[in-house]
Amino acid sequence: MYLQGIADFPYFLGIRSLADVARREDRVCVLNIMGGESRTVTPVSHAYSGGNVVFGTSPGRAGQTLKTPAGDIPVFNNVREGLDAGHTFNVGVVYLPPPSVRDGVAELIRVNDALEKIVIITEKIAVHDAREIRAMGQANGVDIIGGNCLGVADSWNQVRIGGALGGDSPEESLRKGSVAIFSNSGGFTTTIAQYLATEGWGTTTLVSSGKDVYIHYNARDFSHALVNDDRSKAAVLYVEPGGYHEHGVDFGKPTVACVVGRWKSKLTRAVGHAGAMAGSGDRAEDKEGWLMEAFGVDGLYTPDSPVVSAKGAVVTNIADIPRALTAVMKLNGVSPDFASTGSLALKPWVANDQGLALPPELAMPPVTPREPYATQIAVLKRQVGAVIARQTMKDKSGASVMDPTTQVTSVHGYSVLDLALDPLEANFALPLVHEIAGENDRAMLDVAVAAEVNLVGDPILVAADAARDAGNAPNSIMAAAAAIVGPQRVERALACTSALIDLFAHSGLRDGRSEEFDISAITMDAATRALFLASEAEADDPRPEAMLAAVKARGGKSVFLKYLATLNGRLSRDAILAAISLTIAWGPLMRKRISRLTAETLPWYLRLYGVMVGATIPGSHHQPGSLCGIPRDERFGQWTMADLCFLAMTGKKPTRDEALPLQILVGLLISNGPGSISAQGAKGAVAADGPQTPKRVQINKAMVGFLTHTGYSHGGNGFEGMAFLLDQFKDKGLIDPTDPSHGIDLKAMATDFARAYKREKAEAKEIGTEVRALPGVHHPIFKGKPVNYDPRERFIAEFMAKRGDYNIFHAFYRELVQALYDVGASRYVFCVNVDAVIAALLLALLWKDYTSGELTERDLETAAFSVFLYGRMIGSAAEIDDHLNRGRNMDTRTPASACFHVV
Amino acid sequence: MQLTGMLHGARLLNHVGFPASEVLGPDATEDQIQDLIARHGLIFIKPLFRGGVGKKGKAGLIGKASDLRTALAEKERLYFAEHRHGNAYAKANGVTFEAGVPAEHEVYFAISDDSRFRAPTMTLTHRGGVDIEELDKSEIATVPFEALTGLKAFVVANALSDIGAPKEIISPLVQHLPKLWELMHHYGMTTLELNPIRMRPGRDGRLMPIACDFKCGFDRDDPRVGRLGLPEQIFAADVSAFEQEVNRLRTHQGQSDVFVINDKGTILAPTFGGGANSLVTEVLGDAAIISSDFGGNPPYEKMKSVAAICYRHFLAQTNVLFIIGGKSNNTDILETFRGMGDALREHFAQYGPTPLYVVVGRGGPNLVRGMGNLGDTLDSLGVPYRFFGFDSAISEVVSYAKNLDLWMRDGGRAEIARHLGIKSPA
Repeated sequence: MYLQGIADFPYFLGIRSLADVARREDRVCVLNIMGGESRTVTPVSHAYSGGNVVFGTSPGRAGQTLKTPAGDIPVFNNVREGLDAGHTFNVGVVYLPPPSVRDGVAELIRVNDALEKIVIITEKIAVHDAREIRAMGQANGVDIIGGNCLGVADSWNQVRIGGALGGDSPEESLRKGSVAIFSNSGGFTTTIAQYLATEGWGTTTLVSSGKDVYIHYNARDFSHALVNDDRSKAAVLYVEPGGYHEHGVDFGKPTVACVVGRWKSKLTRAVGHAGAMAGSGDRAEDKEGWLMEAFGVDGLYTPDSPVVSAKGAVVTNIADIPRALTAVMKLNGVSPDFASTGSLALKPWVANDQGLALPPELAMPPVTPREPYATQIAVLKRQVGAVIARQTMKDKSGASVMDPTTQVTSVHGYSVLDLALDPLEANFALPLVHEIAGENDRAMLDVAVAAEVNLVGDPILVAADAARDAGNAPNSIMAAAAAIVGPQRVERALACTSALIDLFAHSGLRDGRSEEFDISAITMDAATRALFLASEAEADDPRPEAMLAAVKARGGKSVFLKYLATLNGRLSRDAILAAISLTIAWGPLMRKRISRLTAETLPWYLRLYGVMVGATIPGSHHQPGSLCGIPRDERFGQWTMADLCFLAMTGKKPTRDEALPLQILVGLLISNGPGSISAQGAKGAVAADGPQTPKRVQINKAMVGFLTHTGYSHGGNGFEGMAFLLDQFKDKGLIDPTDPSHGIDLKAMATDFARAYKREKAEAKEIGTEVRALPGVHHPIFKGKPVNYDPRERFIAEFMAKRGDYNIFHAFYRELVQALYDVGASRYVFCVNVDAVIAALLLALLWKDYTSGELTERDLETAAFSVFLYGRMIGSAAEIDDHLNRGRNMDTRTPASACFHVV
Repeated sequence: MQLTGMLHGARLLNHVGFPASEVLGPDATEDQIQDLIARHGLIFIKPLFRGGVGKKGKAGLIGKASDLRTALAEKERLYFAEHRHGNAYAKANGVTFEAGVPAEHEVYFAISDDSRFRAPTMTLTHRGGVDIEELDKSEIATVPFEALTGLKAFVVANALSDIGAPKEIISPLVQHLPKLWELMHHYGMTTLELNPIRMRPGRDGRLMPIACDFKCGFDRDDPRVGRLGLPEQIFAADVSAFEQEVNRLRTHQGQSDVFVINDKGTILAPTFGGGANSLVTEVLGDAAIISSDFGGNPPYEKMKSVAAICYRHFLAQTNVLFIIGGKSNNTDILETFRGMGDALREHFAQYGPTPLYVVVGRGGPNLVRGMGNLGDTLDSLGVPYRFFGFDSAISEVVSYAKNLDLWMRDGGRAEIARHLGIKSPA
């Protein structure tokens, strides 16, 4: 049952011409105008169309308005209220949720006699409802467009109804011209219009038909209106498989049809709504056939085989539409509407290959797009370094993570096991540049830190000594020193770094080591220059020259130092520290691995590293020009950070054989993840300052936070293993712990101990006391198998074995776990844990000095704690920087509801 | 969502009181089968496929038996029968035993929505029991009818007159067939086909239509399907765990129509818009892991959830994460890119980094802000990327992604793995 609209149609069709699809004088009522999608789309449509929406409905929201650039749109509870208020409309737009669409259509039809058209945007309408909607429209003489569509638009009339054709700036895509578009795809309706413009074709009317089972306004309906539209000289049709809508249609004007979806017939099962239509023979291939027949062509149009007729062409790639249309129209003697707006060739807008070398055809450099995008991208590019979203970082870390199965922690993607095999100075940069430092950067780092270690004449040394004299553990001594390296102590170094970033950020410099980079265009004003030059008060400071000489001696390369040399003035230590820091940070900063904040604060960390290591050396060893008797130039020019750490522990430079175990020790101790007490201390300190105002965060105080969250149990307990070993090996006459020919029967030693321990256990059980735990043996995770291993211990053991290195203490531990099992003191073979490795390595390192009496037991304890602090200093720097960049103010606190009171 | 066979069909027909042949399921006892044979003389044994499988008869997959021994032999033959029709492949898991209905007349009946009429349309012939395509058009009535009033008796009567149906079958069909519209329209079906309906003589000689095979398609967007209380697993034919998980997020705001194209593919392409989906799936071919349409302006949370599911199932094998669509009209690029980027960040945090190159081709609201946000995320993860705007032909961008995939296969993946510090790339 249908009302007769246009004569001779066996169903109702009211739209005679495409010019009538979206008219300037159409007045629109939007159902569910305050819904999420309508709220953003309707204001743009309304403004573009000269204010064509008279009112909208939203049950329960009567009296509200939808604000638009073209004035407020009133909202009523229902259509009747709007009409009663004196509004009139002829077009309904439906944004209702799927189950309500059918009723919305009924409301529009029944309540408003003047209704001519309905545009349904909603998708996923049940076929059941679509059937009834179609029937209602037919019976009442109302044209329906959609559903599941993006509405209609008219580039001549500058009107769009429903939907969002042309996006948030319709005028950009909807350029006036001579081509009508009918598309099953809403997204491609706009895309096709934009593609057409590249060949100089503009548009008349654009219809997004939707592709539900019921296409209420279909290709046949469109073709009738196309013929009657004088403005449209041609049409583009975008067609997907399913349905007979295009079968036998005479389009009456030149038409390019794009048929896609051949892949669907290859599928092993039915998918998609379009394919659900009854019948078969409506695959993409079938539709290509119908349309080729309609256009009188014998093949598809491709750039290589441009098959066209004056009636049209069939393409299968929308990118071919513009050229196919031009070819068709040429046969009709019609030229494009305007000059080409550009090509569709590949144009990357933004790219970052992260330093990888892609083949040239893939590594296309970004191009400048047209406005307004060029300006927007330029603004993006002004952004230097990574941008990191803030979130609550309590018990979370973007820097470190511990694998719960292996207990191995990674920092910025590097496992501590791997870090243990890298030079110490390479690791010291990791927390801050997120990459392992290369040779040049390591040399730079050594110079920067070496320049901070000697604290002679600095109140820091007085504070550190006072703390030491008061009987504090090394963490408290370091904390006393770090507390003094406050913001004002680094203010100028940070300002210098910031100034250098500003100067070079957009210079094209990618690598801080590129001394060949042309710096002639970089200029500095007088005020900035003054920032870099040493003041009169610094006239006696010999370090700037020594640092520059040391960089030279080590062959260090830095474009920033090279640039500062052109300032023709005596540089300050801060300026050189800034230049060194930025040399290390520049690559990661440019590759957006790190934020500008991280790069800018790097000098603070380097200064802290130096001061904290320096503070562990008693004050008497700090002399003008020398530290522990090592002259400045030698230290600056040759010493590594590992050397400095060893110096602090033993008062001398390590041999090559001594440096490796120290490096392994420090590496293993870098981090145990964000849950460790030390990390929690550092993170809490950052959170308390408020990372959302980064300038107020005192990084030195955060280091103090880490230090105060270490102690005799967390860090200092490394000595327990050593004490255990000392006890076992006293009076054994051991001379060189690294000599496998030591002549000591380790198995017998272990068995004796195991038997004694078993007795001890039995006695303890008897009297109900707790049996003492053996340091370095057993682990709560690596247990329960017949023979157990701590993978970290295995890693180091294998590495040492490969090198042919021997450690008697480690060997003893291995004998011990077996003996404990053999004598029945353990139910299975315990693992030798990583703490045993640390104790074994460290004791071997210090054994000679200990047996010679140069080091006391107390010194050993201090050394064990210090080596932990050196390692954890790196890990804590990573947590501090991470929390500073990612965290929120006070985000480590625990809500009261999660706290407990105990009595 | 399709359903074939009488096991469920008989029950559905019962909802509207349409007579159906007696049927036993795969768990029928030998006594029950024997009883069925005793009462009906002849029974049919049919393999039980999940979902919709047609043309079983032609494939020799319908067994007949008039004794228990044959029935059990046929059960054994057909229990795990395999069936291939076109590209579709199915494997049975069980059989049904259906009573034979002796009859002189076999009727074909179907209702579906026909795009030629854009109305519900009845297809009817009294020459049923064969493939409808094999019949002459004059023997088939194809009649659209009014959806609001439904399939009326007179529509059936007129149609039967038009095709010259034998007069003895007209009255029973006119009486019973309109019930099928009730079943189809009120229970969320898109198609309903009974072939054959056998016209069984009753005691008084009057013929009674008995449905002997059943096929229907359901509309997954229609909540009316729920009225039938069908177990969900009967629609789970060939649906992967991934599809089940991701399609659970299917709502009208923001689509998530996703299915697996090649579970060994290497390009993971979240695609925006049906058009883009068609184009991308076509051009990527076997390299594509999924075919998807995430358009429709999905909100941030939904986009993130969908992306997280995609990553969890497929990122490990992915060379190129390819975010592709045309110039969106209302899908907010910033929101969608932020969702996908954050999901990627969380995936890397949880499962560790994986060698990946990200290619984007997109246009729409907040495009540059979206690119900036995603770029920042990828920079922080160390993942390389190249973003194209809407002024590059989408097909060219797809080809670029394909070429990049080839480079990844040819050593690029290992290179990125090294760059990301991954020791053994998946």
